[in-house]
Amino acid sequence: MQTHFSEAQLRDPALVEAKGIIETCVHYGFCTNTCPTYVLTRDENESPRGRIDLIREMLEAGGAPKPATVAHLDSCLSCLSCMTTCAVKVDYVHLIDRARVHIERHYRRDMMDRGLRALLAFVLPRPRLFALMMRAGRMAKPFAPLLGARLGAMLAMIPARTAPDILGSQVFPAEGAKRHRVALLAGCAQQALNGDINAATIRLLRRHGCEVVIAPGAGCCGSLTLHMGREDDARRAARANVAAWRDAGALDAVIVNASGCGTTVKDYGHLLGDADAKCIGALTRDVSEFLLGIGFAPPTPLPPYRVAYHDPCSMQHGQHVIEQPRALLRAAGFEVVDVPERHFCCGSAGTYNLLQPAMAAQLGARKAGHIASTDPDIVATANIGCMTQIAHHLGCPVVHIVELLDWASGGPRPPALAGVSLREPQLQTTTAPAADAGFW
Amino acid sequence: MTANFDAFFKDIEGKLGANAVNRAEETLVRYGENTMPGGDRRPAGVVYPKSTADVQAIVRSANAHRVPLYPVSTGNNIGLGSRSASTAGQVIVDLGRDMNRIVEINDRLAYAVVEPGVTYQAMHDELVRRGNHLMVDVTSGPPQGGMIGNALDKGAGYTPYFDHFGFACGMEVVLGNGEVLRTGDGSLDHDTLVNWHTSKYSFGPILDGLFTQSNYGIVTRMGIWLMPRPPAVQSFHFTFPDDDDLEEVIELCRPLKLSNFVPTLFRVANDLYLCASEGESPEAKSGKALSRDARIALRNKFGLGAWNISGAFYGASEAAIAPMIQRVRDHFCKSGKASYIDHNAAQAVPAFQVAINAFSGKPSLGELGLLKWRPGGGNIWFTPGTPMDGKIANEFQKLGRKIFEDHGLDYTVMNVCGPRFARGLHVITFNRQDEDECRRADACYRAMAAEVAKRGVFVGRAPLDYHDMHFAQTMPAFRQACSGIKQALDPNGIIAPGRYGIA
Repeated sequence: MQTHFSEAQLRDPALVEAKGIIETCVHYGFCTNTCPTYVLTRDENESPRGRIDLIREMLEAGGAPKPATVAHLDSCLSCLSCMTTCAVKVDYVHLIDRARVHIERHYRRDMMDRGLRALLAFVLPRPRLFALMMRAGRMAKPFAPLLGARLGAMLAMIPARTAPDILGSQVFPAEGAKRHRVALLAGCAQQALNGDINAATIRLLRRHGCEVVIAPGAGCCGSLTLHMGREDDARRAARANVAAWRDAGALDAVIVNASGCGTTVKDYGHLLGDADAKCIGALTRDVSEFLLGIGFAPPTPLPPYRVAYHDPCSMQHGQHVIEQPRALLRAAGFEVVDVPERHFCCGSAGTYNLLQPAMAAQLGARKAGHIASTDPDIVATANIGCMTQIAHHLGCPVVHIVELLDWASGGPRPPALAGVSLREPQLQTTTAPAADAGFW
Repeated sequence: MTANFDAFFKDIEGKLGANAVNRAEETLVRYGENTMPGGDRRPAGVVYPKSTADVQAIVRSANAHRVPLYPVSTGNNIGLGSRSASTAGQVIVDLGRDMNRIVEINDRLAYAVVEPGVTYQAMHDELVRRGNHLMVDVTSGPPQGGMIGNALDKGAGYTPYFDHFGFACGMEVVLGNGEVLRTGDGSLDHDTLVNWHTSKYSFGPILDGLFTQSNYGIVTRMGIWLMPRPPAVQSFHFTFPDDDDLEEVIELCRPLKLSNFVPTLFRVANDLYLCASEGESPEAKSGKALSRDARIALRNKFGLGAWNISGAFYGASEAAIAPMIQRVRDHFCKSGKASYIDHNAAQAVPAFQVAINAFSGKPSLGELGLLKWRPGGGNIWFTPGTPMDGKIANEFQKLGRKIFEDHGLDYTVMNVCGPRFARGLHVITFNRQDEDECRRADACYRAMAAEVAKRGVFVGRAPLDYHDMHFAQTMPAFRQACSGIKQALDPNGIIAPGRYGIA
C-alpha cells in the first residue's frame, strides 16, 4: 500500500515505523477470512486491511480523526489472528497500537466514553481497588438495566465467584533442590479476579525445583493501558517491571501466566527500546513454555478427563505458543480436545468486552457454542480474560491450565471445580481403530 | 436490452432484505482487487444469498434486468483472480458469507455435503470434533479456501483423495435460467435421494463436469468424499543437487505411482518454491532473476536441493510403514545423487512440514509465504503439465527456467506428480506497483503459454487475465460447444460472462 507522509511527519520515528508497516500490506485479503469483526459484519472497514487503510488516512492527515474511523479502530479486538494469516507478515500489532495512541492524543471522545476509559485505566491495574469495585458492582447488579448498555454489560461480566489473593513481594523457596530461579508476574486484574491461578503456578513451579520471586516494584504489565492508547501509562508500568526484575538478581526466566500480559512483556523491547527491556523480553516465558522446557512428568497422572482447551489469541497469535499447553495437559493424563474455529477470539480481548459489549457478546456466544459442541468434562485456557468471558457465556467454570497441572502433580483439585461432578472417563484405546474407520 | 442495476438491487433488497446488498465504496474497491498484472475490476455491487432459493431469486432478477453476476465462494484463489469478476461492472454473488453450512457428514460412508462457504479449516475442525476418524484432502493453499470453489476450479491436494472434483459426488446447481438441477443420482425425481452423494455414475450423461471452470450455473451444495484417517502417517523426503536431476526424479517417481505403491502424489519442488516460503528475495530490486550463487546460498541455508521430493505412506503404525519407506529409500538412493530426509527430521524443516500437513489432511498456512518472495503483491500461477517422462519434463524445466530468467523473474515451480502426468505449479511473484515488473510478469506468462502450446501442452487452472487468451487457444469445435451449452443453460448470459473465456 502506498503512503504519502510529509517530510515533517517522517521526522517522527513512530510515523516512520507506521509507514513501513502500512507499505508491506498488499491487500491479498487472507486476513479478512480470519478477522472476527469482518466475518461477523462483512464490512471492509471492519477488516484488518480496511483498518490499515483507515490508519494510513488518519496518520497522513494528522490531527483529530473522523468519528467513523475511531469507531472502526475501536472495534478491532487486537486478537492478531490477521497476523497469523497474513502472507506478507504485516506487523499489524504495532500499527494498531500506534493508531490507538494517535486517537488518544488527538480525539475527544464523548464524556461517557472518556469517563469509562479513564475508570478502567485507573482501576484495573490496581488489584485491591479492582476487588473493591467488583464488590460494589455486585451490589449494583440489580440496577444494571438502569445504567445503560455499557455499564450494564460491565456489571454483568462480574463473575459470581471471585477469589482475590493479592501477593506482596516475597520469595517462595524451591521444594527440594533449587534448580531454577524465576520471577513471576503476579499481575493486576487477575489477582483480583482469581488468586487460585498464582497459587497453583507457585506450587507447580516450586514442586519443579524453582525458587519463585515476586519482585518488589513489579505490577501491572501495561498491556491494558497500551491497548487503550495510553502509551505513557503503559511505558511507566513496563519500566517499573523491567527495573524490578533487573534488580531481582539472576533469573532463569520471567514467568507469565496470563497470556495477554505475556505478549506485552515479551515485547517490552519494542515498547521501551532499551537494552534492559529487550533483555527482560527475551527472558520472558509463558508458564507452559517454561514447564515443558524443564520437564513435566507427574508420577501418577489423573484419569483422562476430557479437557477442551481454548487457545487465547495472545497465546496462539501473539506468542505462537500452541502445542505446549496441549502437551502438558496430555502429560498430566487428560484427553485434550481442540475447539472448532480455534483461531477465533472469544471476545474478551483485554477491556474489549467491557468497551464493545455487543460484538464481544456475539463472539462469546459463538465460542461457547463451539466449546459446548466438544462435550468436555473440563474447560481450560491460559488467560484470565478468556476464562471470565467464556465462563460467562458458557455458564460453567473455566479453569487455568496451571490449576489442572498442579492438581495432576499433587496439588489440590481446582477450587472452581469444587462441587462439579466429572464423568467417569472412558477407557482409551489407542491401537484399535474406531468401528467405522478404515482398514489399515 | 441494457443492464438496469438500480432496479436489480432494489428487487434484491425487497426480496432478500437490505442486508443482502452491499454497494459501499470500500466494498466495491476491495472486491475488485486481485493480484494480476492487468489491474483491478470494480464490481457494480455485492449480494449475499442465504439459501438456494435466494440464489434462484438473484438469478431470476438478474435475467429480468440483464445484470451480469459473478459468484464467489470464499474468494481465496489468490493468484488466479481473488474475488475479482471477469470484467468490471459485474455483480459479485458472495455465497460464502451466509451459505457456509456443513449440511451433512456421513461418518459411516465417509462423505460430507457442504455449501459454498465451507472452508477446509471448518471441515477439518468439524471432523476433529467428531472424533478425528475421517480426514478431508486439503490444498497447501489458504486454510480458509472454500471446498466447493476449489473443486469447481479443478483444484487438488496430495492424498489419495487429491482430485477434488473427482472426489466430489452430487451437486445442486442453480442454472442460468433460475432452475435448480441435481446431478448424478440426485437427478431422480423423488424427495428421498439415497445415492446422491455416494454414486457418481448412474443414469444419463455426467453433467457435473459442465460446472467446472465454466459459467453455466451456480453450485449451491456438493457432496465430497472423505478419507478414513489412518492411525499413522509417515512422510519421506529426498533432495537432489542439480537442476537437470529432474529427469531422474520423474523416472523414479513414475513406477511408484503407476503401481500405486506410494499412495500420495509426489511433491517435486524446486529450490525456490520451498525457499520462497521462508523469506524474501535478497535480489528483489535487481530487475533480474536471482543469481545462481544466491540461489545456492539459499539452498544451503535451508538444507534443500535443486529438487526436493516429498511423499507419504499411511498405515496401522510407524512400524508397519517402515519397510515401505525403506523400499522407497533404496529406490531413490540407488544412483547416489539423492539425500534422504526422514519424517522426524523433516518436521523441523518448515518447507517439508507443509508437505506433511497436506499429506495428513491438515490445513496450514506455510506455503502462503511464497507470496512475499517479491514485494508489491503481484502473483499469478501458470499451470501447464508434463507427461511423467523424465526427458520431456526436463526439457520443459529448461524451457521454463529460460523464459522466467529472460523476463528477469525467478523460476519457481512445484511438479505434483501422479502416475502419468505432473501438474507444474509455476509461481510468478512480482511487484504490482512497479510498471516494468508488471509488464515483464505479463510477458513471461504469455511467453510460457505460447511456448508450451507449441509443444502440445495446455494449462489447467488459469488466472483471470488470461481466460480469453487460453480460450482462443482451443479448437473451434470446443469453443462452439461451450458457446452452445452457454446458450442452452444461460441464454441471457448473466452468469460470469467471460469466465474461462466463455461469453
